[in-house]
Amino acid sequence: MASPADLAFLRQVSLFQDVPDADLADLFVHLKRHRLHRGQVLMREGDGGTEMFFIRVGEIVVSKNVKGRVDQVLARMGPGEFFGEMSLFDRLPRSATIQADSDGEIYGIDAESLDRFIEQSPRAAAVFFFRLVQVFIKRLRDSSDLVAEVTRWGLEATGLDVES
Amino acid sequence: MTGTGGGRRSRLELLVRGSEGTGFEVREILSTVAYLRNRPQRIPDAEWELATLHAGPRRAPTFVLKSRRRDRYLQLSEPERFLWEQMDGRTSLQELGTAYVLRYGAFDFEVIPRLIRRLQQAELLTMRPVSRLREVLARNRANAAARAAEAALRAIERLTVSSRAAHDTFSQVYRYGAFLLFSPAAIVVLAIVTVLGARAAVGLWADSAEISAELGKHPIVAILLVKLFFWLTVISHQIVHALALVHYGRRVREFGFTMLHGFIPTFYADVTDIFMGSRRARIVAAVSGPLVHLFLAAFYFWVASLLGPGLLKGFLAASAVLQLQSLFVALYPFCFLEMDGYHILVDLIGLPTLNHEAARFVRHELWGRVRRRQRLTRHEWLYVAYVGLSTLSVAAFVLANVWLIVHAGSS
Repeated sequence: MASPADLAFLRQVSLFQDVPDADLADLFVHLKRHRLHRGQVLMREGDGGTEMFFIRVGEIVVSKNVKGRVDQVLARMGPGEFFGEMSLFDRLPRSATIQADSDGEIYGIDAESLDRFIEQSPRAAAVFFFRLVQVFIKRLRDSSDLVAEVTRWGLEATGLDVES
Repeated sequence: MTGTGGGRRSRLELLVRGSEGTGFEVREILSTVAYLRNRPQRIPDAEWELATLHAGPRRAPTFVLKSRRRDRYLQLSEPERFLWEQMDGRTSLQELGTAYVLRYGAFDFEVIPRLIRRLQQAELLTMRPVSRLREVLARNRANAAARAAEAALRAIERLTVSSRAAHDTFSQVYRYGAFLLFSPAAIVVLAIVTVLGARAAVGLWADSAEISAELGKHPIVAILLVKLFFWLTVISHQIVHALALVHYGRRVREFGFTMLHGFIPTFYADVTDIFMGSRRARIVAAVSGPLVHLFLAAFYFWVASLLGPGLLKGFLAASAVLQLQSLFVALYPFCFLEMDGYHILVDLIGLPTLNHEAARFVRHELWGRVRRRQRLTRHEWLYVAYVGLSTLSVAAFVLANVWLIVHAGSS
C-alpha cells in the first residue's frame, strides 16, 4: 500500500507527473525497492536485464568504459530521475554502467509490471509514454551536446586549429 | 563535461575505478591540463631544414623552417626556433614552458600554442593568390547574385594550368644557355641596352606628339595590342624568376597560368624555395624578374628610335612605357602589394611579415599607444612608416589616375 510519501516520490518522477493518484498507488505495489551503498555497481555495461529504476534517495553515475578501469562519465542522476529504461524496451544488454555515488534508495519496475500498468490504466500509460518521449528527446539533445563538448575538449587538448 | 561562458575550457569527467573494482573516483580533466601534458614530436630530422635570415632591426636572427615532407615553409623567431628544437617527443608542453621561462625570463602564454598551430597547419608561403573577393562571395551565399558570381569565378579558375614538374624543364633551359642570364656578360648587355634605350627615349620624347598621333588613329587596336603584347611578356618575368632559383640550386615548386582573383590572367612561378637560399640569392631572384621589364623597355625604345613614323613606332614606344611602369610597380615596395620590391625591402630590413604586421599594428595597437603616450620601438616606427608611405603612395596613384582621366576627358 502506497503512503502519501510514496506517492509524493512517484509524483517527483517526471514520467508520473500527470498520472492520477489511484493509478500511481496501483503501480507502486509492483515496484521493487533496492538499497544502495556508495560505490556499488548497480549494472554494468553489457549486462542483461529488463528493469528500469527510479531514484528516491541518493545519486548515481552513468558511465561508459573507455579503457581499462577508466570510464567516461555520461551523466549524474539524483532523486526523481530514472535509468535503465532502454533495456526494458529493446531487451538489449545494458548500454552503460550505473554506479552509486552515495548511499540511497531506488525502486525498480520490470517489463511484466509495466505491461500490467499499461493494460490496467491505458490513459495513464499514454501520459507516461508521452513524458518518456520528452525525456528521450532531452537526453538525445544532451548526448549531442556531449559529443560537441568532447570534440571541443579534443581540439583544446591537442591545440589543433582547424579554422585557419 | 562542463563549461562556463566565454574563454571557458572544456572539462572531461572520467570515472576511475579502484584496483579491486569496487570504489571509484571521478576526475575532472581540463582540456588545458591535457594540453600541457602533450609531448609534441617534430618530424624526423631528415624531413626538415632550417635556414637563418640575417639580423633585422630587432637585432635578433630569424629562421625559415622548411618541411621537406610537405614542401612547406614557416618563419620562426629565435624563441620559436628554441621551442622547435625542444619538440623531440619527450618534452611536455609544461616543460617547454618552463624551459622558455628559464631561457628568456618571461612567458607569453600564447607563444607555444601559436607556434604549435602554425606547425600543425604548415600552411606557409605560397605564390598562389587568395582572393578576398572569393571570401566575400562565400560569406554571402544567401544572395543569388553572389552565388552566380562565385560559380562563374569557379568556372574561370578551372582555367588554371600548372606544372609541379617545371623544375626539370627550367634546369634544362638553364643548362642549355639560360645560365648566361646570371653572368657578368648579361649585366654588361643590360647596361648597354639601357643606355641605348635611355638615349632613344630622350630622342623620342621630342617626337611624342607625332608618336601619340599615330596611335590615336587606331586607339582601340593600339590599346589592345599594347596590352596583349605586354601580357605575353609577363611570362618572361616569371621565367627569369624561376631560372634564378635554378641558378642558386633551389627548386621551382610550380609554374603555371592562373586567373588572379578570378579575372586577371597571369603567369606565376612558385619561388618559395629561394627562402632557403642566401640573402644574395633572394635579392637576385627578386630583382631579376623586374629587370626583364627594364631590358624590354630599353630595347623597345631603341628599336622605335630606329623606325620611321608609323603605328609600329608608336606601338613600341607605348609598350616601352608600359614596361617601365611595370618595372616601377614591381620594384616599388610601398603600396601594400607584396611584389618583388617589397620582398627585397623586407629582406633588407629583416621583417619578412612587414605588410601583415604593420597593418595589424596600425589597426589594433597604434592609436592605443598614442593615447597612452607610450614610446614606439624601432620596428614599430618601421610599421608606421610603411603604412604611412603605402597609404600616401596609393592615394597619389589614385589621384594621378583621376587627374589623368579628367585631363584626357577635357582635352
